[in-house]
Order: sequence, then structure tokens, then C-alpha cells
Amino acid sequence: MTIAAVPPADAGGVDLATVDLSDRDWWTTPPEYRHAAFDRLRSERPFAFFAEPDIPGFPPGPGYHAVTRYADLEAISCRPAVFCSGKGAVSMQDVPADLNEFYGSLISMDDPRHAKIRRIVSKTFTPRMLERTLDSVRAVVDDVLARARAKAEAGDGSIDVVADIAAPIPLRVICDMMGVPEADRASVLANSNVILSGGDPELIENDDPLTAFLTAGMEMAALMERLAAERLAEPRDDLTTALVSTEVDGERLSHQEIASFFILLLVAGNETTRNAISQGLLALSQHPDQWARWAADPALDRTGVEEVVRWVSPVTWMRRTATQDGEINGHAFTAGEKFLLFYAAANRDPEVFADPQRFDVGRDPNPHVGFGSKGPHFCLGAHLARRELQVTFRAVFDQLPDLEVTGPPHRLASSFVNGLKRLPARLGGDR
Amino acid sequence: MRVVADREVCVGAGSCELLAPDAFKVDDDGAVRVLQEQPDDAAAVRDAVSQCPTGAITLLERD
Repeated sequence: MTIAAVPPADAGGVDLATVDLSDRDWWTTPPEYRHAAFDRLRSERPFAFFAEPDIPGFPPGPGYHAVTRYADLEAISCRPAVFCSGKGAVSMQDVPADLNEFYGSLISMDDPRHAKIRRIVSKTFTPRMLERTLDSVRAVVDDVLARARAKAEAGDGSIDVVADIAAPIPLRVICDMMGVPEADRASVLANSNVILSGGDPELIENDDPLTAFLTAGMEMAALMERLAAERLAEPRDDLTTALVSTEVDGERLSHQEIASFFILLLVAGNETTRNAISQGLLALSQHPDQWARWAADPALDRTGVEEVVRWVSPVTWMRRTATQDGEINGHAFTAGEKFLLFYAAANRDPEVFADPQRFDVGRDPNPHVGFGSKGPHFCLGAHLARRELQVTFRAVFDQLPDLEVTGPPHRLASSFVNGLKRLPARLGGDR
Repeated sequence: MRVVADREVCVGAGSCELLAPDAFKVDDDGAVRVLQEQPDDAAAVRDAVSQCPTGAITLLERD
């Protein structure tokens, strides 16, 4: 193994005065360090207050509380009437309502509208329906891994786990489900990357995040307009047809609602599973005993995937905003206060998980909140993601047993998505 | 005992269908349908009830 497992930092060695969860560069520090900081926040300052980052063009907001204990996170998540999503769930700042709706879609919406719109597509993402797509997911994974092998053999053996394995699998699966043509998929990937870049300068042209963000959204909306017109003329058995043809409260969705839902499904379907695959493979390469144990035992596919999602926590947080004054687990709050639910921190809470800093592919039970906690916003794509991940890891064990991570991961500078931009690896060596 | 569902609260997350497929199905309208009001597998239904993200399903132990 080229990359050694880094022992967890001593939580006592983290100076909380230097921890700023609003600083995107803080999120490129090693995960061991971040989790040591979360350990201290959880035990010493479970509702720690942070100022919001400065974003050009937006007035600074009042700041937010970082929720790091599992019990607090669950208590907030399952009270959507008290802690709403409609003020914005994916940004620390309050953004103008139209932007909030456009980029947040269902995520930044409250019931009853949220539930009605979500039910348009929920049927497609149920375990029963996904059973039918298992063969096509397997075909996508086999093809992607064969291309990675071919690339390695044509060159010096080196591949990028992100570009060659982790990105194409969920991209192709969600684009198949949505009915996005092959020719448009490269732009879907590029625009997804910008929308969830967190402003990482490497992914933003001309150092102008707002323009890049709006351009990416407009390009995705233009693609949706084109596909929507095609599906209205000629319906197909895909999600885009469902979005354009289903009525809610006797009305079809507006163009803006369809566009934002379309963007949500593509972006969320792409970015989260990608990072679970790339960082799952990174974790397995850092824990060769767990790689060997899981590879040898397909009965561990279920618990292994759940542990990868707990360990990686691909979405680091979602926001809620108090709609009234109240108290939660002894913490008083007033209407308008913001809470960031740090799933990544709750997923290492020693009150819930035995030896939480240990990566254990057989962990059971594993009540992680990697797909969100209780409440109406529980991940729509959870069953799909589990399926993609189970198929992918099993296929890697069988078809790329010689996969070897050769260099450090390039981390996305984003607080919101726990992402990798690149993960150098090689095939064909002596593993 | 009897299983009841609140189809207004349900968001069709499908946890029930995964844990107790004989008792629940996410229907064509995206909300849960109870397939067995008197469930064969009460343990699976209890698990599904406890895992439902929106509390949309309830098991009435005495009815």
C-alpha cells in the first residue's frame, strides 16, 4: 500500500479557535483532522455558532449553529414544521427566493408542496422498481471497469479513480433514467461539477463563481427545455416524461419547477454516489484488511455499502431554519436561527456508533445518517445509490483486484460536498 | 393488530417496501399502499414503522 492509514489525530490537539466551518479551505484538510475537530465540537460545543462566509453580491447573514450530535440532528430533522427547509437548505446564506427554488428544488421546499412534487418521481426510486434496473446498472459498471482496464493497458497502468470509475458510473445510470442523450452527458457532468463546486477555484472559470454557477444552471435548464419539448410530443418511459406530464393539484409543474427538479435529479444523482465510490475505494485501500474481508464475502455487500456511506458522508450538511422560538435537547433558540446538520459529525458520534473512527465493513446495526436523518427530506435516491454501490464494489473486487491507489486524493474545497477531484491509481502492479 | 398509513405525510421513500415487502408497496401515485392490514410478519412491519422517515405508517397493536 502506497497510502498508509493515518492514525486519528488526538482530539485534544485540535485548537477549536482555529476551526472555521465556513472556510472552504478548511474542508481540504485531512479527514482525520476534521473528525478530531468534530469530536471536540460534539462534546464541548454541540451547537457551536459560526459566522457565514462572505459571498460577493450577497449581504452577510446572521450566522448558524453547527449541529454535531446525532441526537440533536435527529430531533431537528424530524420536526420539519419547526425547522423548515424552505428558507434554504443547501446554502449557509439566505439567497434570493428565485435562486433558492431554482437550485434547491425539493430540497429547499416544505410540505405539503414538497411531498406532492416528490411523489411524482418517488415510485421510480423504490426497491421494487429498481430491481428491474439491476441488469442495466451491472452492464454500465462492467463497461466502465472494462474501459478503465483498457486505458491502463494502453498506457503505463495509471488511471484516475474519479474520472475513470467513480464519475462515469452514476452519470450513465442517472442519465439513462432521465433519458439524457449520450451527446449531452459531458456537459451534464461539467455543469454538475460547477453547481456543486462549493466555489472551488479549480472548477470555476475567471474566478467568478456566481456567473459560473448561473451559466451552469442555464445550460442545464436549456437541456431540459429541449428534452421536455421532445417528451411532450413523444412520451417515453423515463423520468423526464414523468416531470412534464404529471399534474399536481390539477396543474402541471411550471417550466421553472421542472427545470429545477431536472437539475436536482441530475446533480444529486451524479455527485453523491461518485464520492461514495471514490472515497470508499480510498478507505478500502487504506484498510487492506477490510478490502480482503469484503472482497472474499459477498454477504458483506449490504453492510459494506452502509459503512462506506457512513464513513464518507458524501453530503456533509443540510440547513434548517427555525420557524418559531423553542428549545431542543436543552438548547433554546429563536425564530429565524439557522442550523447546519453535520451528517459527517453525527455519523461518528460515539453515543451511537461503537468505535466510530474504525472503518468496519461488517458494522451492524449501522443507523447512519449519510442519506439524511428522519424527516420528509430523507434521500430520494438512497435505494438507487445502495444498488449502484453494491454492484460497483463487488465488480471492482472481481474485475480490478489489482487496483492500487498511488497518490494522495485531491480534495474538493467545499464544505457541502465531501468530494474528490482526482485519486491517482494504477492497475497491473503487484497488489 | 392492524397497519394503517397516512398517505398525505408519506413521501414514498420506500423504506417500508425494502424492510417489509409483503406488507407495503409504494403505489403508482408515489405514496404507500398497505398490502396486508393484518401483517404476516409483524416483526418486519415494526421495523418498517420505526424506520419510516416521515412516520407515515403505524401498527395498531390492539384494534
